[in-house]
Amino acid sequence: MKNVLKKTKPSLYLQIGLFIILFIFLILPLIVMLFKVNGNDFGFVFKDNNFYKAIGNSLIYTSIGTIISVVLATIAAYFLSRIQVKGKKWLVILLTLPMLIPTISIGLGVRTLFGVGGFLDQMFGLKFDGLGFFDLIIGSVVFSFPVAFLLIYDAFLYEDRSVYDAANTLGIKRLRTFFGITIPYLKTTLISAFFASFTLIFADYGLPMEVAGKVKTLPMYLYEQVLSSFKYGRGAVISLVLLLPAIVAFVFDVLNKDTSDGTAKKENIAPSKAFNITGLVINIFMAVVLFIPSLAFIVISFVKRFPSDMTFTFENYVNAFSPYSTVSIVDFLINSLVISLFAGIFGTIVAYTAAYTSVRTSGKMAKPLHLISIATLAVPGLVLGIGYVFLFADTTGWFAGTITILIVVNIIHYFSSPYLMAKNAFDKINKNYETVADTLGISHVSLFFKVMVPNTIGTLVQMFSYLFINSMITISAVSFLCTYTTQPLAVSITTYEAQAIWEMESVISSLILLINFGAKIGFDYLSKWLEKLNKGKVETKMELTRNQFSFLTYLDDHNKKPLNQRQIADGITLSLGTTNKILNEFIENDVIIVHKNKTIEITEKGYKLLEPYKVRKAIVIAAGFGSRMAPVTLDTPKPLVKVNGVRIIDTLLDALYAKDITNITIIVGYKKEQFKQLLEKYPTIKFIENPIYNESNNISSMYAAKDIIDRCYICEADLVISNPSVITKYQYSSNYLGAHVSETDDWCFFKKGNYIDRVAVGGEDCWHMIGISYWNEKDSMKLREDIVKVFNSRGGKEKYWDNVPLTICKKDFKIEVRECKKKYVTEIDNFSELIIIDPSYKDYKSKTEF
Amino acid sequence: MDNLNKISVVNINKKYNGQIILEDISFDIKSGEFISILGSSGCGKTTLLKILIGIEKSDTGSILKDGEEITNKKPSERGMGLVFQNYALFPNMNVWNNVAYALKAQRLPKEEIKQRVDDVLAIVGLSEFALKKPGKMSGGQQQRVAIARTLALNPDIILFDEPMAALDADIRMSLRKEIKELQKKLNKTMIYVTHDQEEAFSMSDRIIVMNDNHIVQYDTPNNIYKHPQNDFVKKFVVNHLDEKAKAILDSTK
Repeated sequence: MKNVLKKTKPSLYLQIGLFIILFIFLILPLIVMLFKVNGNDFGFVFKDNNFYKAIGNSLIYTSIGTIISVVLATIAAYFLSRIQVKGKKWLVILLTLPMLIPTISIGLGVRTLFGVGGFLDQMFGLKFDGLGFFDLIIGSVVFSFPVAFLLIYDAFLYEDRSVYDAANTLGIKRLRTFFGITIPYLKTTLISAFFASFTLIFADYGLPMEVAGKVKTLPMYLYEQVLSSFKYGRGAVISLVLLLPAIVAFVFDVLNKDTSDGTAKKENIAPSKAFNITGLVINIFMAVVLFIPSLAFIVISFVKRFPSDMTFTFENYVNAFSPYSTVSIVDFLINSLVISLFAGIFGTIVAYTAAYTSVRTSGKMAKPLHLISIATLAVPGLVLGIGYVFLFADTTGWFAGTITILIVVNIIHYFSSPYLMAKNAFDKINKNYETVADTLGISHVSLFFKVMVPNTIGTLVQMFSYLFINSMITISAVSFLCTYTTQPLAVSITTYEAQAIWEMESVISSLILLINFGAKIGFDYLSKWLEKLNKGKVETKMELTRNQFSFLTYLDDHNKKPLNQRQIADGITLSLGTTNKILNEFIENDVIIVHKNKTIEITEKGYKLLEPYKVRKAIVIAAGFGSRMAPVTLDTPKPLVKVNGVRIIDTLLDALYAKDITNITIIVGYKKEQFKQLLEKYPTIKFIENPIYNESNNISSMYAAKDIIDRCYICEADLVISNPSVITKYQYSSNYLGAHVSETDDWCFFKKGNYIDRVAVGGEDCWHMIGISYWNEKDSMKLREDIVKVFNSRGGKEKYWDNVPLTICKKDFKIEVRECKKKYVTEIDNFSELIIIDPSYKDYKSKTEF
Repeated sequence: MDNLNKISVVNINKKYNGQIILEDISFDIKSGEFISILGSSGCGKTTLLKILIGIEKSDTGSILKDGEEITNKKPSERGMGLVFQNYALFPNMNVWNNVAYALKAQRLPKEEIKQRVDDVLAIVGLSEFALKKPGKMSGGQQQRVAIARTLALNPDIILFDEPMAALDADIRMSLRKEIKELQKKLNKTMIYVTHDQEEAFSMSDRIIVMNDNHIVQYDTPNNIYKHPQNDFVKKFVVNHLDEKAKAILDSTK
């Protein structure tokens, strides 16, 4: 729909301006290049046998390298996206480390590993010559892997995992789901990754420069024609061939727009330990292998003379940084930093503005601007460099031959990625802001600086980081355009390569790696930090201590009642000092608000802190036949027996309902149909049947309920609860309810420190066991496993379930005793006890024939 | 008689790419009335709202406010405020600054800005949250901030574009009440776009029922309930009310 206010002209002018800039620096050089090509150049190139040979060589190693790279990247991404380990972020950084160094440095690493006198030769006597197809393939896999990996990893993160759950429940094997579900889902991404790797390898000449040897590749052929023979026309012809795969890739990507909804899907199934370890090992292995070439040049940067004199020395670095030495790199380093800094700043500004106008304004040039912005992706650096040589030949002195042209060509060369980053960020920003501004009378300029920029600040940093890092490593376009005085660091490697000074090449490579690694980590942190700062998400993570927990739950219980510190201190049996300290901590951290009338309110944040401790559900064991309660249980299962007019189980269910715990599952067996009557009063309860209640002990009930044990109370159904406060909404840790007694002949606990040490029948000075326990998340999961284990063991069905965590698998658990008074919960053990409590049963006669 | 009307909409028509969006829309709203525009999605109600506030232009027709033609005025000059479905708060600014932003843009004196922001935050009951960022607040609270932001400019008409669509049921109930009370307290004219029959019937003085790009009935909830104009109103509006709402309507004369 047409928008009155968006008709304003400025956005259109801005779009036209940006379009013209991109046109001049991207399209025009290519057009000029086309026109400069004449028949002679065509004739020469297409008759030259070396040309066809170069194409053949390039196609061979590019195809093999690409396939290996994509396959490895798929494997790495598949495992990394699925395993659950800490520090995944660091694995991603390590796996993408080759993106931080020039390809020529990777070539250097490969060559010094496999070459004559190289590391493998020195250490294992393995003799390769370090030159040729093998090394080209190794090197190209190393530097194209990260690109393929990031694309595929991203796709995996956004994959909808529920289909795997479905497959899993249908019993389909993992390998089959990989080829039946994963690969088809990935199809488009895999093709994209294939194209991206292919064009990257195909147009690269940094690597071949080091390791190609006699295997001439197409970029090298071009490089020779231009930089050795100064035949720029021929270079242009070859450029056209180099453009082809990139154009095919570009068209494919434009036609296959990303359709994912952009939200990372949560893992549904926790991977098995074996899978986790396998995945971790595979990923670490790959990260190490990818790092080996870098390791090679780092080592060489510290030796006297490779390979003849491997003595350790700092001399190379000293020479490199001494301004008077013949191998000083200080000037190149300054060039590089200046270029990267300015390419970063201006590239970010231009790409950001372009993305802003094409996403958030409706100027008519939005689409062309978008297309030309992403078109930069399709032009290899080499081609762009030659185009610039043609177009800007007459600007020598004030543009050509200056640092400025290097900055500009880098911005254009790497434009599409930062543009797309900004575009994605703007797409995610609330679409109504402009309208809001219009209705509130806020100008769009103000909105841009006060809302758009602050809310995309993290992206801005990332854009800068991307441009900076790539400007540090690129040699493709700049090597045609730089002079000796404007030469950046990465290009200077080629100078030392010509003189075969490997130590200096290594020093420079290591330096670039160091700078870029620092930049990458630093900017990542900066970007995350700024983002959080802006959304107000920087908060100290608070995990509640037990005292804080008691404090908060006490407040929750006394909601909206005026309280003073003394009352709270008494209520949770802590000293006044401790209570005051917690109170102040909570106020400072917005956990609670103290109102003028002395009522204390728990904030949303406070409730969030309590959330992990919230009791999710209750499991009630009611399957057994209370034999000692006969004859009354012949007609009615014990939990449903009325004591003074109230069903026994109601005392428990009422207490649970009072605390909003309505997710209740009752395990039924004996006279199960009678329990249906409970639904009338407690509509949310669910039932699970224990089919073998009469041929096994109560462990069979827990076995029936094993899959639902999670942050829950497990209760016996035949307890008469006279004080409902024994059921609380939150629980700090796993525990059993117990009452201290001086002597008992019933089940009881003995404690060691805070935890239950052993359970016995009968004892002195111990804790009378009450059949209400709570299981936190961790212990719930263990309990599930252990119940199954014991149940399936020999004689397992004869066990009491309580013995599983308390005795048989004791080492897995730390369970506390939660203290309560004995009179709060009564267990009616037999019929005569029932008559004492409720004399109306005196003359009870069973209706059931026994 | 015309001077009693806060808003008069006369003969609005709107087409987009040849497709009719709004057809012959005319109605009057009295000062201090709470009006709902009720209809299913695609009936044109949101477009109508956008035309009222001036974000979009109609092809024909005119809008009068207090008898004065405002059809060609900028949105910010119409003395109307708009509350959005997805709040559209500025996440980088805290609650106070969200509300103050528009006032600052108007370059009001600092003292006045402080006074007005503090006042409206008190009105919506969020004074304690002034320094919070919206991302840390619940949906209901965020929507109250959005309402405060609109109130700060002191518009005499407030428009709501399905403000509760993104909220949980219980929060909706309480926010409904709050908005209604706010309206009584401030005596503002409110126009409320919704597809929720309950909402429209429980809050409105009068309801504009829309279907297929035109108005099918414009009347009090009671009259619509008792005398639905046609089958559409009967089927899609009246029959969708729950028993409680019906009981209340039945008990009124």
